[in-house]
Amino acid sequence: MNKRTITASSFALALLSTVVLTSCSAETDTAASGDATGTLIVYTNSNSDGRGEWITEQASAAGLDIEIVGLGGADLANRIVAEKNNPVGDVVFGLNNMFFETLKAEEAVSAYTPAWSGEVDSTAGDAEDGVFWPLVEQAIVMAYDTNTVSAADAPTEIADLWDGDQYTGNYEVNTALGQATPQLVLAGLLAPYADEDGDLGISDDGWDQVQAYFGHGSPAVEGTDLYARLIRGEVDFGVIPSSGITSRDTEYGTVTGVISPEDGVPYVTEQIAVINGTPRQEQAEEFIDWFGSSDVQGQFAAKFAAYPVNTEARAQALPAVVELIESLPKQDIDWALTREHIGEWVEKTELEYLP
Amino acid sequence: MLRSPLVLIVALVTVWFIATFLIFPNATLLIGTFFPDGQLSFRAFEKLVSSERAMNSLWHSFLLAGTLAVTVNVVGIFIVLVTDYFAIRGARILWLGYATTLIYGGIVLAAGYNFIYGRYGFVTNAVGNWFPDIDRDWFSGYFAVVVVMTLATTTNHMLFLGSSLAKIDYQTIEAARNMGAGTLRILWRIVLPALRPMIFAVTVLTFLTGLGALTAPIVLGGTDFQTVAPMILTFSKSSSSQDLAALLAIILGLATIVLLAMMNRAEKSGVYFSVAKVATPLQKQKIPNRVTNGVVHVLAYALFVVYATPVLLIVLFSFLDSTAILRGMITWDALTLDNYATVFGTPSVLRPFIVSVVYSALASAIVVLGMLFVARVLQKYRNPVTGLLEYLLHIPWILPTILIALALVMTFDRPQALVGGQVLTGTTSLLLLAYIIVKIPFTLRLLKAAFASVPESLEDAARILGAGSMFTLRKVLFPLVIPTAAAITALNFNSLLDDYDAAVFLYHPLYQPLGIAIKASTEGENNLDSMSITFVYTVLLMIIMGLAMYLVYGRSGAATRRARRRASRN
Amino acid sequence: MIRFDHIEVRFGEHTAIPELNLEVKQGEFFTLLGPSGCGKTTALRTLAGFIEPTKGEIYIDGQAATKLPSEKRSVGMVFQNYALFPSMSVWENIAFGLKVRKTKKMQTGALVAEIAGQVELTSEQLSKNVSELSGGQQQRVAIARALVLKPRILLLDEPLSNLDAKLRVQLREQLKNLQRELGITTVYVTHDQEEALTMSDRIAVFNHGVVEQVGTPEEIYNRSSTEFVCTFVGAMNKLSGEVVQRLQRGGGTALHPNKASYLRLEKVSLQPPANAADSIRLEGTVAERAYHGAHSTYTIDCSGSMIRALVPEGGAAPLAPGSRAELHIDPSSILQY
Repeated sequence: MNKRTITASSFALALLSTVVLTSCSAETDTAASGDATGTLIVYTNSNSDGRGEWITEQASAAGLDIEIVGLGGADLANRIVAEKNNPVGDVVFGLNNMFFETLKAEEAVSAYTPAWSGEVDSTAGDAEDGVFWPLVEQAIVMAYDTNTVSAADAPTEIADLWDGDQYTGNYEVNTALGQATPQLVLAGLLAPYADEDGDLGISDDGWDQVQAYFGHGSPAVEGTDLYARLIRGEVDFGVIPSSGITSRDTEYGTVTGVISPEDGVPYVTEQIAVINGTPRQEQAEEFIDWFGSSDVQGQFAAKFAAYPVNTEARAQALPAVVELIESLPKQDIDWALTREHIGEWVEKTELEYLP
Repeated sequence: MLRSPLVLIVALVTVWFIATFLIFPNATLLIGTFFPDGQLSFRAFEKLVSSERAMNSLWHSFLLAGTLAVTVNVVGIFIVLVTDYFAIRGARILWLGYATTLIYGGIVLAAGYNFIYGRYGFVTNAVGNWFPDIDRDWFSGYFAVVVVMTLATTTNHMLFLGSSLAKIDYQTIEAARNMGAGTLRILWRIVLPALRPMIFAVTVLTFLTGLGALTAPIVLGGTDFQTVAPMILTFSKSSSSQDLAALLAIILGLATIVLLAMMNRAEKSGVYFSVAKVATPLQKQKIPNRVTNGVVHVLAYALFVVYATPVLLIVLFSFLDSTAILRGMITWDALTLDNYATVFGTPSVLRPFIVSVVYSALASAIVVLGMLFVARVLQKYRNPVTGLLEYLLHIPWILPTILIALALVMTFDRPQALVGGQVLTGTTSLLLLAYIIVKIPFTLRLLKAAFASVPESLEDAARILGAGSMFTLRKVLFPLVIPTAAAITALNFNSLLDDYDAAVFLYHPLYQPLGIAIKASTEGENNLDSMSITFVYTVLLMIIMGLAMYLVYGRSGAATRRARRRASRN
Repeated sequence: MIRFDHIEVRFGEHTAIPELNLEVKQGEFFTLLGPSGCGKTTALRTLAGFIEPTKGEIYIDGQAATKLPSEKRSVGMVFQNYALFPSMSVWENIAFGLKVRKTKKMQTGALVAEIAGQVELTSEQLSKNVSELSGGQQQRVAIARALVLKPRILLLDEPLSNLDAKLRVQLREQLKNLQRELGITTVYVTHDQEEALTMSDRIAVFNHGVVEQVGTPEEIYNRSSTEFVCTFVGAMNKLSGEVVQRLQRGGGTALHPNKASYLRLEKVSLQPPANAADSIRLEGTVAERAYHGAHSTYTIDCSGSMIRALVPEGGAAPLAPGSRAELHIDPSSILQY
């Protein structure tokens, strides 16, 4: 081998080693290297609006060293499932029961009974196996601005919006079915039409509802908030999670009214669980015990206008929030059925019914 | 060819890389989706065919890609001509205006146009004041998407067609003029044919961009013109629908590959090499006809205004509170620094920037360096094996980034012999790998074109003077393709900087990249300033990307100007 | 010095050179002449080591060189488009080969300066970028670059083809002088027969991959061994059967009436030659006269057959078109195939 050949070979080898070396050097700070100490990685979709920072600070004050990893609900659930053979995160919270059912079915989360299990309604979580536990509840509501639509003129049933042409193009529908809230809306629409013999467990009437809902609606505009569209008169109605109402009323000067159907509105319950296979099981449990405690949940509720499931924490929740939530009946949704079929429902809707 | 150690090593590394990172993970994922119980399932196919919406979206994507292949060429060639070929007053200013698409894109670009021409946009409002009967939704659907995407995707023309134009031998133009050919005939018969290989290359890229169009149709397409990319995105996030996502993506990918093969063929039959020994540098052409000259000037500046306004608006918007933007009412007291305060007030706001800059720089440098060798070997040794390798390297074009990322996580979550028994999931290297992977096809295409434009005799000359293949590559060939390589590096860097799709599954919790940070800071039910904050990040990104482009073009531009001055002194 | 021994070159289905046997002597200026696509460049590239022959052996200095990589063959080459490295200065271009060989800086400088002097490149030109030079200057750089390594063989692939006529003649002489000074064995490829005749010691005429004739310029010109060679090299009258028959009747008994017959223009005389016994007289009318300065070309109509004659100026008074003319032809100067 002459000198030139050596130069040539070493150059190309350098290329190879770049790839290999980066993986080796990266190995040292792998979160999942079996190290039982170190920072606790907390996965959540509920870190926005300053929640993540607040939790990190409070946890630190309580002696817990955590790192929040925030992603959108669907993305986060997918990531946890994809990583299940070599988990990177240690705890997950904030995802709704539908996503947690998926994580449980994929054995991506493991059972742990928190210290505060007695303070929550276990049926709001995983009553059967106690894999995940409820933290916060939210209603998914059809909202309007009472400045433009008086409560008397608003329909009493959501279905009135697409029953007939009166409201056609006048309510917003979110077509981004990869996201959590639009999926919950879909689940709420289909829930009353569960039918074992129907397509994907839903009767034809149910699918007609979906078709009419999307067919008469005005698709959401990417990058434009529902309330911005409400105040400029583009639409009069739209879906929003209840925790977002207060801040918008302040910002846009609206006075929000919500349609309260007889059968109730879909409620989602955000849950918490230990990620299966974490090397920091003990710390994870410690975090869950701390975060779900009535004290921390109470402070969290007061700060972020949340409605805690923990009955003892509810006292600290904002009165307006409590009033709104308690005025809205809870729709009866079969979450097991929903979890089993939501992927197919989304697919069918996406393929057949979206405008 | 296997006698050269360089070729041997490049071949081995390439084969290993393709097998390990392109075929193995994706094949595992695809087999899982299409053979759910070990049997081929036609479910996805049947579902798609029976869905009117899917078929419509697919048709729209192809329609858009086809339209763009024409319109982007028209506009792209026009702007290259007015900045580099014709003598137009203020050409450098024009260039800067047209170059704005280099430093922003995606949702912000679409939103920028929407804020100007959309239902509540300025122009629509202004016209609406005079003509109240105007259809306020005039700027939506197919037309709007085509207009916006045409303007947004002329980037490749500016960079690559521009540099090809500079290489045309001026004497051929003089000769044609001498024989009495008019401006148009010279353009049509001499200039454009000489640019043909590069036009083909950028047309493939344009077609691909059109097929993958995501944000512009979402923002501007309305209900009449939705494309298939949003559908792919939704389906790839649901495990039960991933087969649909994969199938749709494969349809788009195969279309691209077919086009690629056609272009390859056409390229072979009609490559025009400069035959002159002493190429005279191109001189700008005056348009002799006064009326035509005036019209071209007006068009060029009109286009400049159209290009530049959204950028200026985005910068302006980053200083406005969200309500003002959404209401479309801009007053002096709506101006605020709050958005910047919010962004910079976030703890450790700089960290994601650093993480992303490091990742993007590393990935773009590695992919360009690696592809320099690969493109060279593929271009030099043409046989069925290298042909196959070349097509395999285009796999990342066939699959959406999300699926590639998912496949990587799921494949490397256990020790794999192919990577020396390492577990890559959860390490910082996996995201880097994904970035390298997704940038391979683009880098390879353009570098191959760059190598093809180097006369073969240069290599022979180096060889007969005793230079080994590595020495020749380093001293003779690389300097000639370095301008293209630098441009590709900058483009790769810019496009990776705010990536979300790959990062979402792959990022290491302690190293959050920018795309995730932006998304996090703009999400949230109570975050009403999300659009303003996006604008702030966009402005910051523009600064970084602008800097990257300056490093490549500002300096090399100065170098060419120096060279031109030197040549003109002679 | 160089020997092509039963060389065959094939590109897939296409056979560029079916069988080539050639020998080039030490110090010789040897030209491969032929029309484009005749295989002459292929032969040169095979000698340079860029093309591996499918059969046969190339010997350089008596040693089999077929398997030797080009850089080990001690050949310098000047390419048709010069193949100067655009990213380097003139000096760097010339010094390239030395740098590859890791020659010491001092020595490199001296060698470059020496060769630059020989090809008449100024030190100012050395510091320029190659794109700033004129065609002729670029050609000198290409030659200097090929010669600086002091190769045993210099290969030149149509190095003058893209230059203007006057420069071409000038450079032809300089190139020949340089070769003579250095005494380097040179293989030159060209399609220009004039270049070949003026510069070469020996010429090989190629056609369709086959060597039709090898010989000195005089042999090639005067004693072309094939019809192709005689028509390719220099201007020729192709004589019609009728003219040949008339010449035969006039005394050229050795002529064969059914063969293709050719006659050089300067072998046709309009004045009776000194030893008139050897020549045959034909009569005709002047159809056209083209004046070239030192000589004129007459086209004579011999009862329907056109015969051209090259006549030096300054002798007899020029003949006007339409006037009668006598042609004197020595039948032994007629080439028949």
